[in-house]
Amino acid sequence: MRSLLTAAGSAVVMCASLAASPLFAQTAPQTITVTSPTLVAGQTMPKQHTPDGRNDSPALSWSNVPAGTKEFIVICEDPEAGNPPPFVHWVIYKIPGSAKGLPEALPIDTATPMPAGLEGAVQGLNGFRRPVYRGPAPPPGNPHPYHFVVYALDTALAAPKAGVPAMGRAELLEAMKGHVLGQGELVAMYGRNRTQ
Amino acid sequence: MDAPKIISRRALLRGVGVAGAAAVAAPAGLLVSTSDAGAAPAAAQTSAGAAAGRQVYQHLTASEAELLEAMVDRLIPADALGPGAKDAGVLTYIDRALGSALASSRAAYTAGLAALDRYASASRGQGFLALNARDRDSVLMDVESGTVTPGIFTGNSTQFFSMVLGHTRQGMFGDPFYGGNKDFIGWDLLRYPGVRTTVTAADQKSLEADQLKPNHRSAYDNEMFVKATARNDAHDQDHNGDGHGH
Repeated sequence: MRSLLTAAGSAVVMCASLAASPLFAQTAPQTITVTSPTLVAGQTMPKQHTPDGRNDSPALSWSNVPAGTKEFIVICEDPEAGNPPPFVHWVIYKIPGSAKGLPEALPIDTATPMPAGLEGAVQGLNGFRRPVYRGPAPPPGNPHPYHFVVYALDTALAAPKAGVPAMGRAELLEAMKGHVLGQGELVAMYGRNRTQ
Repeated sequence: MDAPKIISRRALLRGVGVAGAAAVAAPAGLLVSTSDAGAAPAAAQTSAGAAAGRQVYQHLTASEAELLEAMVDRLIPADALGPGAKDAGVLTYIDRALGSALASSRAAYTAGLAALDRYASASRGQGFLALNARDRDSVLMDVESGTVTPGIFTGNSTQFFSMVLGHTRQGMFGDPFYGGNKDFIGWDLLRYPGVRTTVTAADQKSLEADQLKPNHRSAYDNEMFVKATARNDAHDQDHNGDGHGH
């Protein structure tokens, strides 16, 4: 899959064959175009989005959104890590249907409010069991692919109850079943040496 | 990769198993809360502290103490629930223990704190003390999860994080006799009513109604506990250069 993505080399990857991958637990058509000012499909992610830099979440934009979209979900995952894969780096849901994307560097704690236009959005639990973005940190070796997947939903998901952790990827995939109008993704790469 | 613990003030309170603490409203945050994320970098704060006269520690160097204080201040920060680890004298606890019960951890502190600062500089462009609360938390999350840039920490950064967190909890919630839990800050945070060798029926009733006032007494205020001797012995041994953990 890595070579396929690298070979794509375009700004946007919308590969129909990926729809059958375990990454896409939903079967809705990949109609959404996902772009970023700092991420290029198939190319190495800048360090600012990894623990080798500030580890800030990247800005994302989306277009070709299905009519009737009530909310968006964004999940970032690495299908080449995790036990079982994928390892989840970021989950954010209840993104208002009016949103055109996400700005860079979303809050890393629940006390800080979401930026304007993203009111109500909730960061879910990642693979570290934290409700934040934590970027790529693959073991030294070949670069891993990081899938930033955007889902458009025809419904509004429930907000987490007070004192209850936000949902993680598995719960979200279950909650969105039958509600995905469309999806799209941007896949970027990142690798590490033994010493950076 | 194992998922590290989420450290929220709520979880931290649960971890020490004190009834009633869970009723305290708490932000489910990162290392606890970052409500002061916009606070001025601590470099300015420490300058003011230095002018007022910095505390001298027995075992930690001045730069180690400064880094460690900044770290524990993010692990249990002061917030709406009360003072944090810095105010509770956690550093005094750790410093004192590094000369006795925790002496075997001394080298890990030296190496870990230096690595923490190197990692902050390499990844965020500034040393740990120059970062604001948000960036300190971001650094500490990466240290906790073991995702720091390879080659900076000797061994696993998670081990260093867990060690400091464990000692911070000890200093925050242990008996004030050991140098931390200053003014019973930790016990008040937990609403722990204090060590009691006898509990009357009236006390029990008050406790069950969550109205028993804390007695603010160290266990060693009771004559039946004589561990003060052990501390003095540890100090003597340390001064003789042959102190060791026990």
